[in-house]
Amino acid sequence: MCPSITPDVDIGQSEKGPPPREPESVLGCKIRGIEMANVGELELIQRSLEGDLEAWGEIVARYKRMVFGAALSVLRNHADAEDATQEAFIRAYEKLRYYDISRKFSTWLITVTINVAKNMLRKRKPDPEPKTFHTDDPASLVEKEDLVRAVREAVWSLPEAYRVPMVLYYWEGLSIEEIAKALGMKPATVKTRLFRGRALVKGKLLEMGVTADAI
Amino acid sequence: MRFEDNREEELIRRAIAEEIGVAEGRLEGLEERVIRALAEKVPSRAPWWKRLREFLLPERPYLGLAYALAAVLIGVGIGIAVGRFFLAPSTSLTSLAQEGTVFALAAPGAKEVQLVGDFSAWKPIPLVDPDGDGVWTVVLKLPPGRYEYAFLVDGKWVGQDPAADEYVRTLGDYTSVRYIGGEGGERS
Repeated sequence: MCPSITPDVDIGQSEKGPPPREPESVLGCKIRGIEMANVGELELIQRSLEGDLEAWGEIVARYKRMVFGAALSVLRNHADAEDATQEAFIRAYEKLRYYDISRKFSTWLITVTINVAKNMLRKRKPDPEPKTFHTDDPASLVEKEDLVRAVREAVWSLPEAYRVPMVLYYWEGLSIEEIAKALGMKPATVKTRLFRGRALVKGKLLEMGVTADAI
Repeated sequence: MRFEDNREEELIRRAIAEEIGVAEGRLEGLEERVIRALAEKVPSRAPWWKRLREFLLPERPYLGLAYALAAVLIGVGIGIAVGRFFLAPSTSLTSLAQEGTVFALAAPGAKEVQLVGDFSAWKPIPLVDPDGDGVWTVVLKLPPGRYEYAFLVDGKWVGQDPAADEYVRTLGDYTSVRYIGGEGGERS
């Protein structure tokens, strides 16, 4: 899949340069003699705008986990989230000329992803029941002290309005301001949704008998 | 099994990461799939009607913003009206205090002031300023206990209430804490 460009000098191998990033580069592809993994984000975007699909492939490699997490936060279904991830990267490539360079690229990409995922959700109607992650009754759950699993179920069964900001904050590591920009809402709204999301998680755990002695 | 506050965020982070992590294998080879899908798309021009529509009606994201703003204004209007009807605040904070716990904030010039806190599961409660003196109030009947809260002044987070008993930092910002009397509200 690599383009036919063959480097004369490989900056990625230079002693002064940073070590090549192994896990997420596009199969060792190189453009103009530079390891793709060492190419800056803006350079990759510029090349993508010029039609360089390999450069866009590197963008996909760098952001696919982030985009998948954002898609899953909306769709709650692995297969659908995978489809949405691929569609989001295709849509983002096609809309790249609208990307405002003053905006953080990852935030813009998340906005595109959330829109794609929400469109898929609308088409997928009726929305499935919240996913359940265990079949045990609450009592046995408490006995097993499987707190993480209980929290996992509580978080992923939250309404979308709270689940999406929580995934962006706790998993994507976005700041309150970045989430606000990505979702098109005020930072204070994001903050209240995070607080309320946590309160709802506590409530769900209480229903499961997990937090009775703590709340 | 306890769900202690100091572990809460770590547990949530782990719960989310695990759910996403189990599906990461699906992302293998995504780069190639995206490139292939894009390469297969015929780079033909958009149909004439699409180009005409794009020319006449370019994307206007601010239209959505305008609709959202209108909805918020209507919502706020209804909220304030309902708040005024049900809460019926008097102008004296002392007399208000007899009715319950007073939350008050001086915010002259503000268009909207709301209270969010764990007592309402962080759902906004509107404050009112019926006499227009810039002091916004709401009275809540709260059982004894420790409560975290903040104000939203025109949508901006105001986490430090001068009347609070203490402040805590959560999610990178301050929230106020108030202890309401009785055994449950005693500070340890």
